[in-house]
Formats: sequence, structure tokens, C-alpha cells
Amino acid sequence: MQRFLDPAVLAEISSLDLIARTVVDGFVAGLHRSPDFGFSQEFAEYRAYSPGDDLRHVDWNVFARTERMYLKKYRGETNSLFTVVLDASNSMNYSSHKVAKIDYARYVAASLFYLAIRNQRDAAGLIVFDDEVRNYIRPSTRQGQVSRLLHGLEMAEPRAQTDFAKPISHFQEFLRRRGLVLVISDFYGPPEQIVRTIAPLRFHGNEVVLFHVLDPREIRPDLDKPAILVDLETREDIEVTPEYARDTYQARIAAHISGLRHSARSAGMDYHLLITDLPLDGALKEYLAIRQRRN
Amino acid sequence: MGFLVPGFLAGAALVGLPLYLHLLRRHTTTPRPFSSIMFFERRTQSSIRHRRFRYLLLLSLRLAVLLLIVLAFANPYFKRAAVAAAGDKQLLLIVDDSFSMRAGTRLTDAKREALSVLASRNESTRAQVAALGSRLQVLTEPVQDSAALRAAVDSIGPGDSRSSFAELARGVRSLAEGAHAPIELHFFSDMQKSSMPASFSELLLPPSVALVLHPVVERAQPNWAVESVRAPGRVWNASEARVQATIAGYQTPAATRAVSLFINGKEVASQNAEVPAGGRANVEFQSLDVPYGFSRCEVRIDGADTLPADDAYLFSVERSDPQPVLLVHEAGDTRSSVYFGSALGSTAESSFSFQSLTVDRAAGVSLARYAFIVLADVGSLTSQFENDLVRYVRGGGGVLIAAGTSTGHRSRIPVFEENVLAIHDYSRDGARFLAAGETDTSHPSLANSEHWAGAKFYYAVAVDPSASRVVAKLTDQTPLLLDKKIGEGHALLLASGLDGITNDLPVQPVFVPFVKQTALYLSGTTDRGGARTVDSDLELRTSKEQAVSVEIVDPAGRRPLSLEEAATAESYQLTSSGYYEVRLANGRRDLVAVNPDRRESDLEIVPGDDLALWRGNTGAEPKQSTAAVAQSEPAKPRSLWWYAMLLALLAGIAESVVASRYLAVQREEP
Repeated sequence: MQRFLDPAVLAEISSLDLIARTVVDGFVAGLHRSPDFGFSQEFAEYRAYSPGDDLRHVDWNVFARTERMYLKKYRGETNSLFTVVLDASNSMNYSSHKVAKIDYARYVAASLFYLAIRNQRDAAGLIVFDDEVRNYIRPSTRQGQVSRLLHGLEMAEPRAQTDFAKPISHFQEFLRRRGLVLVISDFYGPPEQIVRTIAPLRFHGNEVVLFHVLDPREIRPDLDKPAILVDLETREDIEVTPEYARDTYQARIAAHISGLRHSARSAGMDYHLLITDLPLDGALKEYLAIRQRRN
Repeated sequence: MGFLVPGFLAGAALVGLPLYLHLLRRHTTTPRPFSSIMFFERRTQSSIRHRRFRYLLLLSLRLAVLLLIVLAFANPYFKRAAVAAAGDKQLLLIVDDSFSMRAGTRLTDAKREALSVLASRNESTRAQVAALGSRLQVLTEPVQDSAALRAAVDSIGPGDSRSSFAELARGVRSLAEGAHAPIELHFFSDMQKSSMPASFSELLLPPSVALVLHPVVERAQPNWAVESVRAPGRVWNASEARVQATIAGYQTPAATRAVSLFINGKEVASQNAEVPAGGRANVEFQSLDVPYGFSRCEVRIDGADTLPADDAYLFSVERSDPQPVLLVHEAGDTRSSVYFGSALGSTAESSFSFQSLTVDRAAGVSLARYAFIVLADVGSLTSQFENDLVRYVRGGGGVLIAAGTSTGHRSRIPVFEENVLAIHDYSRDGARFLAAGETDTSHPSLANSEHWAGAKFYYAVAVDPSASRVVAKLTDQTPLLLDKKIGEGHALLLASGLDGITNDLPVQPVFVPFVKQTALYLSGTTDRGGARTVDSDLELRTSKEQAVSVEIVDPAGRRPLSLEEAATAESYQLTSSGYYEVRLANGRRDLVAVNPDRRESDLEIVPGDDLALWRGNTGAEPKQSTAAVAQSEPAKPRSLWWYAMLLALLAGIAESVVASRYLAVQREEP
């Protein structure tokens, strides 16, 4: 099942729903063999019933045997508000292989939605933005929420430029309950400015995680001769030599990643780098780790 | 500057290929989309410029390679003369040291003038000194050292050789081939007319040589000389020996000259000779009373002219008892000894005593005492006698073999060591006889007997002539007289008899001089005594096999041959006049008198027109600058293709280095 976490394999699947299920099933199958991570559906402990507790959680089998009411507690039992903020600017459309960054972001988001709603029973929502908010799906656990979220992801075609200010302020308008916020973007911009823009999300007790999606060629460009590069967002072009791409650029992108990671963690946010040619389990593990930490 | 094959310049259009690859093709780069160029700065353009510069360096090298190759094929050249005119020149001073330069102060004047030319030259100009005799003798390399050059000029002494202007031109042509600068040739000579070659083209000098002539005399000077002397090299009867001398006058008035005969430094006879104006007179001395052994003789005149060195003519004479000659014949053949003995005894200067033996009696005779041996148609020889004969010939002896009918019956000619190929009995043919056809009159045996055509040959033996010198042939090309070297000696084969039956040669007038010359030749007398001219070669040995040492003592009393040369030299050039004492490889001793070539005695000079023609400028001053000469010469194109190819090779190597570094950068990239 692990092979279904490979983005190159997932790219052959057209249905985002099927992709999400494939990823999560494969991921869960992998977790059963892992001692490090628990799962929220796993049994944690029994607790004596006290008035006011939800009767749905009473273990009736134990009651039948002992005539005492015990509640069956699971890990992660508490329902979380889980929101994905997806960058759908033009720069996310870059790809050096089968899977573009926006596709990879979709796979990650879809898998997380599936995992959160079907397995964790979290309320999941979606904000798609570029230089403005293009789509907003309120977090919910209602029937059909997964389909709505996946449809929202499918409709998120890259365009325009990235501007974090608008989606964040928009998100704050709807954010009344603490939860988990995942920002999926390529984060092209000054790290301090990005973090400063996103940091207000934490004011209401939200857990903020930055999923930094990059193509492998954005980290190590493969120029064998001087080339003219065109910025996908600004349409500006520039002539680049292989030497510069090999030396200076790689140093600068590494410094950018390092700076973003440092700024995010300084601001109390988690940071996770996703390379589009690597399996998706890294993102799911990150999500579960954060959720486990929250519980 | 020009191009020998300008059509190849069209190949320069090939430069469009690298221009396209480097400039046009590079600008067609397709823009590549990228997420963000925020990490690329505008200052990367400097990197692009650096890249462009390297591209331009590579482009330049590639263009240079193509252009240089095209240039090499177009074969550029420039006019060598124009460059040479601007460059340095080289002086070549040649002083004539031939025999005629002994006249008056000619050589001293020539050397003084050569020294003045050296003194007036620029110190930085290189110069070379040479002397001209029978060949051009280079005395120095082209140097700037004035002291060495002056010493070389001072070292030139009077010679005895005959100068040759053709040899001068040949030598200068050879020197000019190795010279890198134009040569200014200064020639100091008496410009003797006899030194001019038969063809004026032999005087041609290379275009890079400017000739400056320095005649040391202005007009011909009168000169008397003893032109030649005829005397026997060996005498046994002084009363019968004669000495004939020819006195010549060159540009001289009619005069009476006293002619004296000196023997071993003592005047033994004197006569007056009436020499007509510019003519010759003959003088004959009736006796040559020399002591036994070798005598140094000379005929001298009272020259009273500017060249006294040619007033004496040296010759040597050996006096000895008559040497025995052995004729071996068959018992039934008495005619051969009669004919041959009579002919040998009839010569006035014969120094031979004749002895004939039959084959049977000849066996066991010591052959070493005989001057030469005659085998008169012998049919059979004992092996011991034949071996003795072969050993005798190899040791330097001579043998005359008459191959008559008896010898013809053998399959092999004794001593001569050739098989009998065929027997021609012409008396049975319709023609009845054959006459002698071609004759080699340069052979000593036929020196005074050219007319063999009257003799009739009825019988001849044919042998393979490949290893022999054919002296005479019959009209059907059958070799009649053959000479073969065997060791240090000679074997002469007459392919017919001496008995008057197989031919009528013994009764022909040509027979007596033939016998006389053959006797002198086989006994070695023709090579001995007498006189030779300077620069002639003396044969020291006839065989390379024998390592017997020879010995030469030159007129100055020195031994000019080293030990190695004495053991191996086959000949020696007699370079100076005087008496040479010689011991040859065959053990014989000789005294050789050497005289300068008498053509040197004619002091007539080359006409001024001929000299002007030789200089190549009939109306100008004799001394002209090299630059002027170079400008007047037709320019010689000098090709530069080799340099173009060399530069193309260097540019190609540089292009490979730059290109490989560029490609190496590309390979390192992930």
C-alpha cells in the first residue's frame, strides 16, 4: 500500500476522492506497523459514568457483564476544527515532473480532509486563495463535507499572485473556535513578512502549521546552459547561467527555507517542507503528531 | 604580400558556422517558466556577460582556426627580396691563390685589398673568408671577429693549383643556400682568362649574391714558360734517351731563351731556343746521362718575367739495367717468340731483355725477376706454374696472354680466369677474316697504336668481358683485347695468337708500338717517373684487399698520409709542385715530379665586358650596395603557409582547452 503514497502513482488517478482514500488507507496500513504513532480510534481507557456524559459512549457490553456503566475513552476523542488554507497562485502551477505543486497540495489537503473527517471526526474546512480569497468552505462534520471539500480542491486552479493578507484577515472573520490551521503554499516572499502575516491566526489558540510545498527543481535547478526564466506570477523574465543556478541560487533558496522554518518556529508555528517527488505520508504524520500533541 | 591560391579564400565563408552557433543560435533560447525569480537578481547579468566573454573567447579561437586554415590553403607569400634588402648582409671575401697569383705581387695586392675591405666594413656585419684554387676552400665561418678574419686572410699563401671560376660559382651557390642574409661577394683575383669556364652559364650566381670584383692586374703580362717536357721515365742506355722540351711565350715578343737541362741540380746541357712572338719553340737534348736509380731532372729557361715559377719543368727518370721479359710458348710455336721479341727489341727506348721458354722449361722458373710474362698461345700449363703465375700477377706483375688455337682448346683461360665461351674461326666463313672495330685509345697499350683497322683476324676466342675492361673489339663485337685487374697486377688478354697464323697483326705496323706500350704498361713503367700536373691523382693501390701500407713524402719532406690513410687510401691528390717520393702498395718505389698546370702560365686576363657581364651590371659602378642589387633582382616569393598552419594548430589547441573547460563545467552540474 505504501506505493500509493507516491505522488507519481497518485497522478495517474483522476479522482481526488479516490486519491484521498488510497493515501489514507495506505497510510493507516503503514501506521499499524509503527510503534510511534497511535490512532484516534484506538481504545485508551475506561472511565466511570458520571451524570451528563454522552450515553453513546457507554460501553454496553461492560454494563451487561458488570451492571456498571463505563465510558469507553479513545485517543483524540475530542473533536477539532481543522482548516486548510491553500495557496492557488500561479507559482503553484510549476512542475518539473508529473505532479505540479498545486496537485501535490491537493493530494495532501484531500488526504488530510479524508483522514480528519472519516477517521478523526474533525470539522474540516478549506480556504483557497491567491491574491484574494477565491473559495471558502466552512469547517463542518456534516454529511457530504468531504465531497464539498474535495470539489473545492478540484476547482482550485492556479491564477494570479500570492497575497497572504486577505485570506488571513478573511479567515479571522470566521474563526471563532480554536482549531488546527494548515497553510499550504510555496511561500515565495520574505519569511519574516509571511510569518508576520500568518501569526495572527494563533491569537485564538489555533495551532498553525506551514506546509511548504516545493518542486525538487526549485531547490536544485537543472540548467545545463544559460536560460531565460519567466516568473509564473509576475511574468518577468531573467537570463540565468548554470553557474549562478548551481551556486548562488541554491544557497539562497536554502537560506530562504531555513529562514522560514526559523521564523515559523519562533512564532510558535510548525513548519514542514514538502517536496513534490516524495511520498505524502510526511504531511499526514505531521498532522497526526500535532493532533496527538493537542490531546 | 599576396596569395598563391586566392581561390581558397572563399572558404572564409565557413566563419559563418561558429557565428551562427555562438550568436544566432544562442538567442533562440526558449524561455522557461519558473515559480518565482525572486532569488535571481539582476546582477546575474554580469555573470551572463562573463559567460558571453568566454563565449566570445571560444568564438574568437574558432574563427581564428578557420581563418588560419583558409589562409594556409590560400598560401600567402611575401617578396623575399624586399625583406632581405632591409635586413643585414654578409660579406664573403674570396682570394684567388692559384699558381698565376705568384706572378709579381698579385697575391700580396689581393690580400691587402681584402684586408682593406674588412677594415671598412661595419663591425656588426658578419664576414667569411675563403681561398680559390682548384676548389673553393672556406677558411672561416661567417663571423664578426675582425682578428679572426684578418688572420684568415693573412694565412692565404701562394698555391700551385689552377683556379676555376666555375668552381667558385659552384661553391658560392652552395654557401648561399645556407646563408640567411644576402651575400656581398668580394673576389680578389688576377682574373685570368684561362680560369673562365667554357660555358658562361657555369658562372651564374644566386640572386641573393652581389658580386664585387677586385682585379689586381689591369692588363695581360708577358710570360715565358717551359710548357712541357717529353722524357722516358726509365732508361738503361743513356745515349739513346732523348729529352724534348717545349718553350712557350704568352703575350711575349720574339726572343731567344736559354734552355738548360738539370739533373739532380746540376746543369748538364744547355741550348738556345728561338721563341717567336707569342709562340712556341722545341728543344731537344740528345742524351740523358743519369745515374742509376731515380734522378730529379728539370728543364729550365732564363725567363726574366714576372712568374719565374713556371720557368722550370720537373721530371724524374729512373735508370736501371734492362729488365728481362719471359715469353712462354708451346714447343711447336716458334713464330710467336720471333715476332714478339723482334718488336720488343726494335724500340729505341726499350729497357727490356727478351727471353723465351717452352712450357716445359718454364715450369720452376722464378718469375719475380721478370718485368712481365707473355703466354703465347699455350695449351697446357702445369698447375704449379699457373699458381706461380697467379701469385706473380696478384703481387703486382703483368702478363700478356695470347689466346690462339692451342688456348682455344681449353675450357678456361689460364690466369685470366675466364671460361672460353666460343671459338670464332673466321677463315672458314665467307668473310675469311674480321678487322678490329672499336679501340679504346685511352688504354696505355693502345696509346700510340690507334690504327688497328688494317690487321686481319682469322681466329678469335670469345670470353665473358663483364669483369674486364674491353680495350679493343672485332667488328662483330667480339672482345679482342681485354684488361683485367688481378690483385695489384694486370692480365692482358689478346683473343688471338701472336704467331702470324691466326691473324696478321705481327706483320702490321701497329704491332711494334703495341708491343712497346704493352711492355711499358705491364712492367709498370708508364706509371713511373716522368711528370704530372698539380691536382692530379696518384694511384696508390689497385686492390682494396691488401692492407699493405703505402708511403708518400711530399716536396716539403712531410708525410701527408696518416697511418690509417696509408693502409687504406687508393689514391692521393698531388696538390703542390715538386718531387714526391712514393712507395706503392705493390712494393715499387717511385719518384713523381709534379708541375703546375701550364694553363696558369698564360697571364691573359678576362676582358672587361665579360667581367661586367658576370657582375650582372654592364654599365654601373663595380661596387654597389646590396640593397640596390636586391631591388634590381626579381623578387622571390616566400610562402607563409607553414606559419599559418602552425598558428592554426596553436589556436586549435587553445580552443580545445577553453571548450573542454566549458564542457567540464556542464558535466559537473547535476
